[in-house]
Amino acid sequence: MKKIIPTLACALMALGLTGCLDRTDSPDVSDYIITSPTGVGQTNSTIYQLKQDYAEYMAAESGGTDFVKVDTSLVIEGVVVANDAGGNLYQTLVIRDLGGGEAGGEKDQCIQIGVKNTWIAPYFPLGQRIKINLQGLYVGNYSQVPKIGTPYYTSAGNRKLGPMLLQSCRTNVELLGKPDPKAPELTPINLTTAEGISWLEKGSNQSHMTTPRLITVKGYIAEVLGSQLRIPLTGSNSGDPEPYREAVIDPATGKQKVDPATGQPVYNYYKLFAPEELYDDGYGVNRTLLAESEGQSGRAVQIALRTGTQNEISFMRIPLVESTYTGVLTKYGSDWQMQLRSKDDVRPVGNGNSK
Amino acid sequence: MRKGFILLTVAVLWGGQGTWAQVETTDSLSVDNADFTFTESQLDEDADVAQTVSNVQTADPYLSAVGYGFSAMRFKVRAFDNVYSQTYINGLMMQDVERGSFNYSSVGGLNEATRNKEGIGFGQMAGYGLSDVGGAQSINMRPSQIYAGNKLTLSACNRNYVGRVMYTHGTGFNRNGWAFAGSLSYRGAPMGWGNVPGTFYNSLGYYLAVQKRFNLQHDLSLVTYGSPTERAQQGASTEEAYALANSHYYNPNWGYQGGKKRNARVVESFDPTAILTWDWKSLDGTKDLTTSAGFHYAKYSSTALGWSGDAYDPRPDYYKNLPSSVFNVYDPEENSMAYLEENPFLVEQWKDLRDRWTACEENRQIDWDRMYFVNRQNGSESLYYQERRHNDQMGTALSTTFNHRFNAHGKYAAGLQLSMNKGLHYKTMADLLGGQYFTDIDKFAANAHGLQSEEAQNDLRNPNRRVGVDDKFGYNYNLFVNKARAWVQAEYNLADWYLALGGSIDGTTMEREGLMENGCYKGYSYGKSGAAKFLGGNAKLIVAWTPNANHRLSLAANVASRAPEARNAFVAPRVQNNFVNNLTNQGLTSAELAYKFTFGKFSGQLSGYFAYFKNGIEQTAYYNDQQSCFTYLTMTGVDKRHYGLEAYFNYQVTNNLSFHLYGTIAEAKYVSNPFAQVNPEGSDAKQIRELNTFKNPVTGQNGQLQVIAEDMRVGGTPLAAACLGVKYNINYWFFELNLNYYDRVYVAFSPYQRLNSTYITAGKWDKLTADGQSKFTKAEAEAEGALIYNTQGQLVASYAKEQEKFKGGFMLDASIGKSLRLKHGRTLSINLNLTNITNNRNLKTGGYEQNRDDSYYKESDGQYTKGEDRAYKFSRNSKYYYAFPFNFFLNVGLKF
Repeated sequence: MKKIIPTLACALMALGLTGCLDRTDSPDVSDYIITSPTGVGQTNSTIYQLKQDYAEYMAAESGGTDFVKVDTSLVIEGVVVANDAGGNLYQTLVIRDLGGGEAGGEKDQCIQIGVKNTWIAPYFPLGQRIKINLQGLYVGNYSQVPKIGTPYYTSAGNRKLGPMLLQSCRTNVELLGKPDPKAPELTPINLTTAEGISWLEKGSNQSHMTTPRLITVKGYIAEVLGSQLRIPLTGSNSGDPEPYREAVIDPATGKQKVDPATGQPVYNYYKLFAPEELYDDGYGVNRTLLAESEGQSGRAVQIALRTGTQNEISFMRIPLVESTYTGVLTKYGSDWQMQLRSKDDVRPVGNGNSK
Repeated sequence: MRKGFILLTVAVLWGGQGTWAQVETTDSLSVDNADFTFTESQLDEDADVAQTVSNVQTADPYLSAVGYGFSAMRFKVRAFDNVYSQTYINGLMMQDVERGSFNYSSVGGLNEATRNKEGIGFGQMAGYGLSDVGGAQSINMRPSQIYAGNKLTLSACNRNYVGRVMYTHGTGFNRNGWAFAGSLSYRGAPMGWGNVPGTFYNSLGYYLAVQKRFNLQHDLSLVTYGSPTERAQQGASTEEAYALANSHYYNPNWGYQGGKKRNARVVESFDPTAILTWDWKSLDGTKDLTTSAGFHYAKYSSTALGWSGDAYDPRPDYYKNLPSSVFNVYDPEENSMAYLEENPFLVEQWKDLRDRWTACEENRQIDWDRMYFVNRQNGSESLYYQERRHNDQMGTALSTTFNHRFNAHGKYAAGLQLSMNKGLHYKTMADLLGGQYFTDIDKFAANAHGLQSEEAQNDLRNPNRRVGVDDKFGYNYNLFVNKARAWVQAEYNLADWYLALGGSIDGTTMEREGLMENGCYKGYSYGKSGAAKFLGGNAKLIVAWTPNANHRLSLAANVASRAPEARNAFVAPRVQNNFVNNLTNQGLTSAELAYKFTFGKFSGQLSGYFAYFKNGIEQTAYYNDQQSCFTYLTMTGVDKRHYGLEAYFNYQVTNNLSFHLYGTIAEAKYVSNPFAQVNPEGSDAKQIRELNTFKNPVTGQNGQLQVIAEDMRVGGTPLAAACLGVKYNINYWFFELNLNYYDRVYVAFSPYQRLNSTYITAGKWDKLTADGQSKFTKAEAEAEGALIYNTQGQLVASYAKEQEKFKGGFMLDASIGKSLRLKHGRTLSINLNLTNITNNRNLKTGGYEQNRDDSYYKESDGQYTKGEDRAYKFSRNSKYYYAFPFNFFLNVGLKF
């Protein structure tokens, strides 16, 4: 018995040197997908054709005819040209199909796909070609933008075409190959030219056959032009003024600089794309983008640049100089509306001409 | 993955549950994974203690019985929080001074080493210290008290762990006056083997002790013990999730990673302790002095998932994943054939989500692979990660106790207790889930103020720091708590009467030291807060009349003033130094009347008690929908009243056969509407000021934020429980059968849902008409809560939203045992305990309401108004825990 005791104790201790149970190896996720592993069928239509076939629903203003369920196996494909990587597009992808034609041509079409999940960009990166079988899903429009998804009731009680469940991707969506950052579909339609501005000016171009589309325009934001920069707007919901200036600190004294001529404190003036103070009922902020073409200053088209209040673009300072803006063009009522995809969609032009 | 403890893994070394049932319970109120979905329960999750008394023998037969008898329902005696009872080891008070409670896991698996213990209830005195309202227990771990010889215990069970092995050896005193003792144990369950899916258990226990008896007067002993433990936790979930999983033991905390099960919430705890004790006694045995000094470093940490703002909530039972998030299933108009035929897409989505939940187990658990995939797609920076929240306690304590029996009738005792404690609170990166780093910013503040803002920085002194595995991030602070207590008590017996008097005085200081400078709280986040000081005391009186050996009538009364617990003393301890407003001592008045009797074969005890807690402080933390951030809500001026009856009856039919009946009917409820203070992390001073302002809806005047809590019950424990049982023994066989009944268990109420400001925003208020009429009926007001004002704007009535009471039920338990005397003086004992034999799977042991809103709110100029309704109703979806189904515990012990 005397031998058993130390033997048992030693055994316990020796066997205790093996570490914890909470240990797992990193999994191999190179083939991880949330989409169909087996395919969703042969492509048998195009976005262009889809918009033609379901024009009644995609162009509908409202009234309950703005979506319809697809009962047949209808398969389209396209390349992801916008996603929620920047946080500004919420539960939304935009796919584009050149339709075998030229960029910007009639067959070059985009459509929104709603997916009920935040941060879907990892599954659908830009340049990823996908195939989608619409059977069981709904097509129509959301605020007059052609869309694929499923209906829902908004928190305000309105019936709208919203995002499909994420799990529907498993049955209805298929990835085709790997994402191609150089896919031609990722090149936005250039509307910085005079022709581009003319196209924007033409009201009849606002239709479900022209939206959504990935575009680049050039111009200024009206809220920072001239004296507007020093006039803060007040939010209709918050009742608070937007931030618009910051004290200039004298590094020598650590205190705010004072203009020796006027004796007034010195400020830097700025405005943000979407300050919290200006949030509207959709928790976004519209800024007025004045799109111009080269050499045609004064001939500007207004586009509502819409940005959510809590993403990487929201807190960006609006350029005071002429810049290009790339994003998803849609229509809202009789106005153009545009959403940037990420901070990289804003680029100053040349050396930055201020107005 | 961070390496853990040195633990045993052999399958033969099964762990099991022994006497310390409360150590082995799953977290009584565990919580969601998310950093921002803390609930009121999370601050208490470290406790791992469901009872205020352990299974110790006391002179109170009721307390002796319920400690183990009702443990399956996490019964709390008199519904008292465990801070109101005290635990001593070798004369040293072992309360965690920051939390106020004893850390049972520090002695996990050391059943033999802690076998020598005694306890007292409120109506008794003990020589080791003046007990609190919840009583006290004293554990004697001196090696001379350990069985001289060897004891090997093997156990098998199907509880949180499935097997245990314990070996204990004691020498007794040798001829030179030395005694040695040691114990080693292992308890374990591989992943998935325990009673709760997705959990594992891995725990080593050790005890080493030496004692030297210098002479008849002096003893010196040194005891060290610890129990490094690693265990995966169970999470509470909603009734809907349980129904979809077809199990009340559904555990949302785990999922598959590369085909293997992994739990997101893993606790690691290790509380190595050393106690040096000097015992002196006079040669005539009338005086003794026990002086102990102790040191411990309690390491406790718990993992949880974290994710950056835009990443999808990875919890499988996140409300948007549930079918009831599609439409308001509680609204009979929406949940009707007509409405759903008109909106077939609602039914389609509801079915799709239901089918996903019910299709396979994998679908309703955490998808670890998805998090790895997203992180890798994101480049180097992790969007998802697993953090480890540390709550370490480093403490030293000194205690000395003098007892003197001055004649045959009387004795007195006096003592001094000193303790110093440093609580280290921080979190580290446990796993980047395939990523390379994480940037140390506050995602909520970043949403509100911008990623580049100063406010977004968790530590302004190390802005935008890249965090790797094991690095500290998020928050880092220390809490210093010092306590000193002097006490004295005297007992006197005269003829039929017994009189005892006791009193104590104590001082407490507490201070926070921020080790990071949070960007939202610049200037009062880093450095020391300054110390808050409290003076407290306690006075106790016991009078008993014992006309003969068969009857004893006693009355005990106590008044006390207690310092608040340091864990509740700061408005947002993770990020700032500010103390809670109205921080003051808690008053406590209690009394107990007990009658103990024997009538022939019939014996028992009847007790009635009353306790009134005044000016308590309670703190809860949760994800706040309106501010989209992690928020602390502190209640001050919490008044509670506990009262009830307890009974224990025993009928000894023969020497071998007896019947017993014991139980309680109790009340434990809030009797005030406490003041409230909310502090969302990541909010600036202006926002906090606005959120803490309550505007009278009639007069428009500002008032104080309050929680309408009056008549809410203490949750998570049966307020009614009874046991009818029989014991039989013959020829060293022991049988016991108990039928238990439990009722009046309440959900832990949400203070947020009952804030007066929440009521106003939700429209739950009314101004009486000139003839005193209200738009609410009394039943409506009591069900949903309401504030009623008169025409002058004075509050004339307030109703707390109704608190859910769970259904009661029965549980049948049995045990059988046999002792055998073997050759050479060896003994073998075999015990089998069967709990919940009828496999009642519908008994809720606890749960909590979610601190979230059913509606969206709109804010304008600091004022909130109710916006549109959500489809999902948080108010109808509390989260629950259920008592274990049928389980057994087989114990085989060999003494040799």
